[in-house]
Amino acid sequence: MNIIETDHLTKYYGKARGIIDVSLNVEEGEIFGFIGPNGAGKSTTIRLFLSLIYPTKGDARIFGKDCIKFGPEIRQEIGYLPSEVFYYEGMKVLDLLEYSASFYKKDCSKRLFELADLMELDLKRRIDDLSYGNKKKVGIVQGLLHQPKLIILDEPTSGLDPLMQQKFFNLIREEHDRGATVFFSSHILGEVQRLCNRVAIIKEGSIIDIQDIKTLQKNNYKKIQITADGMDETRFNIDGVSNIEKMDGMISFFYKGDINTITRLISSEKIADLTVEDLTLEEIFMHYYE
Amino acid sequence: MNIFFRELRSNLKSLLIWSGILILFNFVGFSKFSAFYENPQLLTVLDSMPPALISSLNMNAFNLTTVTGFFGIMIIYFNLILSISAAMWGSDIISKEERDRTVEFSLTLPVTRGRLVTAKIAAVVVNCIVLLLVTWGSTVIFAQKYQPDSEFYRFVSITMLTVLLLQMIFMALGVFLGCAMKKHKQSGSIAVSILLVSYFISIITGLSKDLDFLKYFTPFKYFEPAVLLRESKLEPTFVGLSLVLIAVSIAGAYLAYSKRDLYS
Repeated sequence: MNIIETDHLTKYYGKARGIIDVSLNVEEGEIFGFIGPNGAGKSTTIRLFLSLIYPTKGDARIFGKDCIKFGPEIRQEIGYLPSEVFYYEGMKVLDLLEYSASFYKKDCSKRLFELADLMELDLKRRIDDLSYGNKKKVGIVQGLLHQPKLIILDEPTSGLDPLMQQKFFNLIREEHDRGATVFFSSHILGEVQRLCNRVAIIKEGSIIDIQDIKTLQKNNYKKIQITADGMDETRFNIDGVSNIEKMDGMISFFYKGDINTITRLISSEKIADLTVEDLTLEEIFMHYYE
Repeated sequence: MNIFFRELRSNLKSLLIWSGILILFNFVGFSKFSAFYENPQLLTVLDSMPPALISSLNMNAFNLTTVTGFFGIMIIYFNLILSISAAMWGSDIISKEERDRTVEFSLTLPVTRGRLVTAKIAAVVVNCIVLLLVTWGSTVIFAQKYQPDSEFYRFVSITMLTVLLLQMIFMALGVFLGCAMKKHKQSGSIAVSILLVSYFISIITGLSKDLDFLKYFTPFKYFEPAVLLRESKLEPTFVGLSLVLIAVSIAGAYLAYSKRDLYS
């Protein structure tokens, strides 16, 4: 069963492009990644799901129901974590969370305290006094306290320290094991790869590819940098290598293919230093999708 | 009900400030009145003032040396203060969600936009009524010193009813602008601007009989304090017109808000 289905979903803000002809579906139990650079239309898509904005053309259905007609009913089962959280100032964290919980038909108080405990959230503090990262933690608890069937995350890790990010990812995995479907929007490829089953790539408002994460990883380029004195860079000119550059005794290139082939080749040389990195999203856009 | 109570709490500070302003204003007003009270000299002073000024301040209809007459003058200021507060509350309670970027919280909860607007209007109406009661109560208390008669109480009661209508008209206008305007930051100042313009129209209307038709365009002219004192009843035409204005603004607000993109 599809949890999210969109059909030629299009949004223009006046003349400005939001998204164009986005058609995708997210199956039940998936962790679906949605990646693209800033301004590609990720947040626009999510706002359409939540009927904060209305489509210019096309439609979106969640749990098989139209997002606009059944908005409030659908949102009973959606947990949303925005990229930047803004809450009513002058409220205490607990008051805000209980306020949020009061809109759901089920009793959320047990889960509320569990989550707050897990995220090490001080419930007695006022929202205005919280740091950016702590506000984000309130957002996580608020988004998950009603144990939603669909979790929508919009760049969720910004502002969280690495330890909290780890806890957060574990939490999302737990929710996923419980049966929740996750729609995960991000511009950080690494975290999407770590968590997601499938991924859609959006660029300038249009979906340019939807792929299984395994395929993407198999096809993925590595960026390799080698420091060595007087080495001839043409030695690395094998199948799957591109963009070879040599600068100040450092050779760098992109590699796509079996990682063992290239490591064997490198180990046959005497080198001073070696870095192997995933390509950044920008580099993928520039080289992988050209 | 949760939205309603939250809004009441978040508006409490503003309500207290406005109440304080009104009590202080009433207090200062009555202190000044103590100099006019049963003072025949004042009448000769008033006779020497230009008639246009006298009429714009409603002074020709009232005997300033009585507490009833004095209240008749104060009505202009109550009208202005209470309707300005209503207009500002009305627009602010809607537009603040976009200004503070809390729409992404409040409207991603399982509520309809209509329910949110309803709860917010209810909260503003309660605020308006409380402020009206503060005005009413402080007027009656400060007046005690001057042994008001039953005519005074009747006049104050019927006047407060007209102030309530005025509050509701401008509250509804504020809510409508808050809901309908894309440039939500300006909705409050535009609501107050419209209010002030209609107040100035009400002054112009009083200057000449030829401009009498203008009274339909300004709620400040719907109920003349002098007529209220004389007849102790509300003109049904203008009660009807007020209710229509309120209904149209509120209906427009729901319609505009349900169709609008909300993002910050």
